[in-house]
Amino acid sequence: MEPDAQLVLQCLRGEGSAWEELVRRHTRRVFGLCYRFTGNSTEAEDLSQEVFLRIYRTLPSYRAEQGAFPTWLTSVTRNLLVDNYRRTRRDRLTDSLEDAMPQLEEKHSTMRSPDKVAQAAELSDQMQRGLQRLSPELREAVILRDLQGLEYNEIQAVLQVPEGTVKSRINRGRIELARILEQIGIRPT
Amino acid sequence: MDWNCTISEERLSDYLEGHLSPDESAAFSAHAAGCAQCAKLVAEVGGLVERLHNLEAVEAPPRLANNIIRATLGARWKRWFSWAPVLWQPRFAMGAATVAASLVIVFHTAGLTPAKLRRMDLSPANFFRSANRQVHLTYARSVKFVNDLRVVYEIQSRLEPDSEPSTTPSPAPPQPSKPSSSNPQQKSEQKTHDRSQVRPGAMIASLLHQGLPAAWLQVATRSPR
Repeated sequence: MEPDAQLVLQCLRGEGSAWEELVRRHTRRVFGLCYRFTGNSTEAEDLSQEVFLRIYRTLPSYRAEQGAFPTWLTSVTRNLLVDNYRRTRRDRLTDSLEDAMPQLEEKHSTMRSPDKVAQAAELSDQMQRGLQRLSPELREAVILRDLQGLEYNEIQAVLQVPEGTVKSRINRGRIELARILEQIGIRPT
Repeated sequence: MDWNCTISEERLSDYLEGHLSPDESAAFSAHAAGCAQCAKLVAEVGGLVERLHNLEAVEAPPRLANNIIRATLGARWKRWFSWAPVLWQPRFAMGAATVAASLVIVFHTAGLTPAKLRRMDLSPANFFRSANRQVHLTYARSVKFVNDLRVVYEIQSRLEPDSEPSTTPSPAPPQPSKPSSSNPQQKSEQKTHDRSQVRPGAMIASLLHQGLPAAWLQVATRSPR
């Protein structure tokens, strides 16, 4: 049984601590997906909360046969992001990025030099600028594959499109992103 | 195998991720070696994918998880007492009230009050000792109360014998035609009445003289008239 499946069963039995554990385990990933797609940390925070509210309400309808819990969670997150995108499309300035970026995870030693920290933040900012210029379909494909690390079959389950379409979107998204970064003066290499 | 820029662009990700067959991979490499545009594309996209994979994940705000938990499960103190509404059901209310009343009675019997309750009072030995003492005190007070009632009754009966309800038939009124031959019984009763009027005062004096506890015991043990 996958690790989250046991927690889901405990949640369905009414154990609040199991739900807390699920939330803490997946909050960062959901927030990361929301932030990379929207480019706005406040909006990402609201959407993340909405995702978990929806998961909490519909948890009794989840079946292990539908797929792993993380895949289901990602699918709900993606659907919410698309709905939000369609709802706010007219109000959005596609080229804008908020001034304050969320904090980055420190993968390496916490004794990194300030230069390295600034470099990492700058790179993240650059990638985000490029992602914001992609179309939503290509953006979500690149985020799911290259930032979230999902396999092709998982992305297929999330996007509900054939695997060939998934591969095509990822490929076109990467090429398009490389060209955008070059246009705005960012060398990816 | 004919390989052109269009095919190279379409199969670029497969090439970078190693999903091409050996023949396809060889064809791709051969084309890229001879095409500057495709070589540049391979380098740029390859470098981009590597940087994306090494990009540090964004951290969610610390409050986010807590906000989600609060929005779904409710505040922590509400979660702690989430079982409380169950007690408001009628089937539990009577039982809960009985338990609470029993506890109040037990603690009151043991002489423990919430204001003066200490942790050591709850130990079994101390609890038994205080309960035992309380029971003995209550018994002694009850005995004293009953004895006091009997003393009061005795004193009252001595002081006001006329007001006593009589169970015996009242003596016949004296015959007016024979005043001289007054009933000897009446005479003796009168004498007794005189004596009884004297007796309460003497009795009270003797009570005070003997000391109240012994006197109470004496009166309590005396058979009623």
